[in-house]
Amino acid sequence: VSRWRIACQEQLLPGSTLLDKWTFAEKAGFDGIELRARGDFGFEARLPELREARAYAVSMPSECVEMSHFIGAFDEALRKDAVRQVASQISVMAAIGGEVAVTPAAYGMFSRRLPPFEPPRGPEDDRQVLLDSLGELGEHARAEGVAICLEPLNRYEDHMVNTLDAAAQLCRDLDLPSVRVAADTYHMNIEEADPAAALLGVSAWLGHVQLSDSNRLEPGAGHVDWALLLAALDAAHYDGWLALECRLSGPPEVALPAAVSRLRQASR
Amino acid sequence: VSTARRAAVQPAGGQVEPDTVRLRRHAVATLLANWRGSSTVPTAALYPHQWSWDSAFVSVGWAHVSTRRAWQELRSLFGGQWRDGRLPHIVYNRSVPEDAYFPGPPFWRPLPPDGPSGGPTPGVATSGLVQPPVHALAALAIADRCPGGAAPDDVRHLYPRLAAYHDYLFECRVVRHGLIATVHPWETGRDNSPAWDDALAAVPADTDGVAAMRRDLRHSGRAHRPTDVDYARYVHIAATYRDRGYLDESLGSLPFCVVDPMFNALLVASELALAEVADRLEMTAHRHRERAHALSAAMQQHLFDSALGLFVSVDARRWRPRRVRTVGGLVPLLLPDLDGGQRRALLSTLVGPAFRVGSAIGRGVPSYDLTAPDLDVHRYWRGPSWVSTSWLVWRGLRQCGETELAALLSRSVVDLVARAGFREYFHPSTGEGLGARDFSWSAALVLDLLRARSAEEEARPR
Repeated sequence: VSRWRIACQEQLLPGSTLLDKWTFAEKAGFDGIELRARGDFGFEARLPELREARAYAVSMPSECVEMSHFIGAFDEALRKDAVRQVASQISVMAAIGGEVAVTPAAYGMFSRRLPPFEPPRGPEDDRQVLLDSLGELGEHARAEGVAICLEPLNRYEDHMVNTLDAAAQLCRDLDLPSVRVAADTYHMNIEEADPAAALLGVSAWLGHVQLSDSNRLEPGAGHVDWALLLAALDAAHYDGWLALECRLSGPPEVALPAAVSRLRQASR
Repeated sequence: VSTARRAAVQPAGGQVEPDTVRLRRHAVATLLANWRGSSTVPTAALYPHQWSWDSAFVSVGWAHVSTRRAWQELRSLFGGQWRDGRLPHIVYNRSVPEDAYFPGPPFWRPLPPDGPSGGPTPGVATSGLVQPPVHALAALAIADRCPGGAAPDDVRHLYPRLAAYHDYLFECRVVRHGLIATVHPWETGRDNSPAWDDALAAVPADTDGVAAMRRDLRHSGRAHRPTDVDYARYVHIAATYRDRGYLDESLGSLPFCVVDPMFNALLVASELALAEVADRLEMTAHRHRERAHALSAAMQQHLFDSALGLFVSVDARRWRPRRVRTVGGLVPLLLPDLDGGQRRALLSTLVGPAFRVGSAIGRGVPSYDLTAPDLDVHRYWRGPSWVSTSWLVWRGLRQCGETELAALLSRSVVDLVARAGFREYFHPSTGEGLGARDFSWSAALVLDLLRARSAEEEARPR
């Protein structure tokens, strides 16, 4: 019998300061807050705020990038900046005792399902670019004692890494313990033929899990089989965090405690 | 990288056994790996389709993982049900090559057409035989795991289908004294059990070409499986039934017609489970209870062998009992109104030298009498212990209030899989794993045993 560690992304929590948000989050049944990390070293600029929150024992195990360009950018200058930003975000997490930094290969840059359908760069070059970016970030993350987790997005949001197995393949190629897979149940619902089996299949590389229901709302508001997913994570020996990254079907005061409760019930 | 562990919650009055946690995870992983989108294969290579009683057992395990999947397992099986109520023992996965398993879909053709003659839905490939009716027991077990009671949609969907299957058995398979007959060893679920050696001896065995048809030997050792002579007889019996259009008139003229105490006991138990389901749906349960009690009484009157101390099968063609001790004769422990003398005799047989349940050297419930001269400890149902039948005896013991013996049996089964893995069957003395690996019902039913054990630990006063 295990108790999952469940976090909630900060923008979903009511309150003007991290301490306010944490007070609400704890009451709602959460164990931590997942931070959102902006570019232009905006995350690093929050260090005093984050340190203060930490002093008040706010639990902040993970962060997720919130930028306009990414580590798989077509444009080399943007890619290099994204790597610099994520490296800085990893260092911030290390400074506040965090465990995980999350990034997709790219978001909103290209989809093979939307015109013009053929990306300007081929799959082999995509792979090389991602190996370069993740290799550099992985070494940095290892030195900082943090994991950098690559999050597959669905086919409409990214064309490079859509499935857990595709992300795990990059991890296998790099073979750095600090480079891992972040599974997001919303994208999995679209991309994985059998989400539970997919989690089991990447168990060796799984570093983070983000929760959202099939419709991008909080767990319980869609049709994901939470009992099955949590059992699969347990069977995969996953002992990391589950972080809510979603929209809410109603006021946070109602939707968030209900979501946590459903998840706890589903893992009974 | 995080090394933090999730906090283990200590159950009241007990400790988390690390092996139990590991075993549970391994069991769930086994079920997840054997899932095929709408149902679970018994094991990946040897049995690539959906089997009827396997699915019922597997759904009991799924109920501890995801009740949604548990219902889906049963609903997809009943998607292969024939119009006459018969629930086929195999529902084929059409995306698997037809020659991957023998007998494949072509063997059973022509199936009767859908409609008054009673076949399956067009386009669904099935066999024409049945398997032991454990499905209502499973449905009730799943309903009990659903938060807030039964899931009415699934229960409402399954109830008439379960009832139709039971109706088919009670109406079309009835022989003397109201007892229910099986027309093929495959229908008993225990293909080569010594319980039908006599009945089978009269069946022609043309072994020409049998070895080439078999697919099981590609995945399992010859010494651990039924023989070519067995298979030749299985094929003859099934082909005869098929060529008669799967008609159940004059059952005694079929090459094989046997009353199996396990099949009958499971029908009693399932019929009572169905009565409980009907109660929950506020439907009339009277006929289910009436049929269950009549069948139970007939079993106790006509199938009990007091000298052997257990129930025996009867060759219904000549009405001759087969006087051997097999695990099938112990499953009537599940009968709710079992005569006190018969219950004591069964318990004494169970703990005696023939089965050794409860002793330090117990290894589940052996499928056949350990003292029999023709015991074959490696060969399928002629000696090895199986998780499914051990689980049925365990349920029977709990039903009789024999909780201590039940706990010992449960522990011995858990020990078997902890040492040998989720194998298909096990050497009844050494516990060596035999047959297929990653076997679904072994995983599913061990999940159920572990859950019952932790529930008991939680219930125990501090």
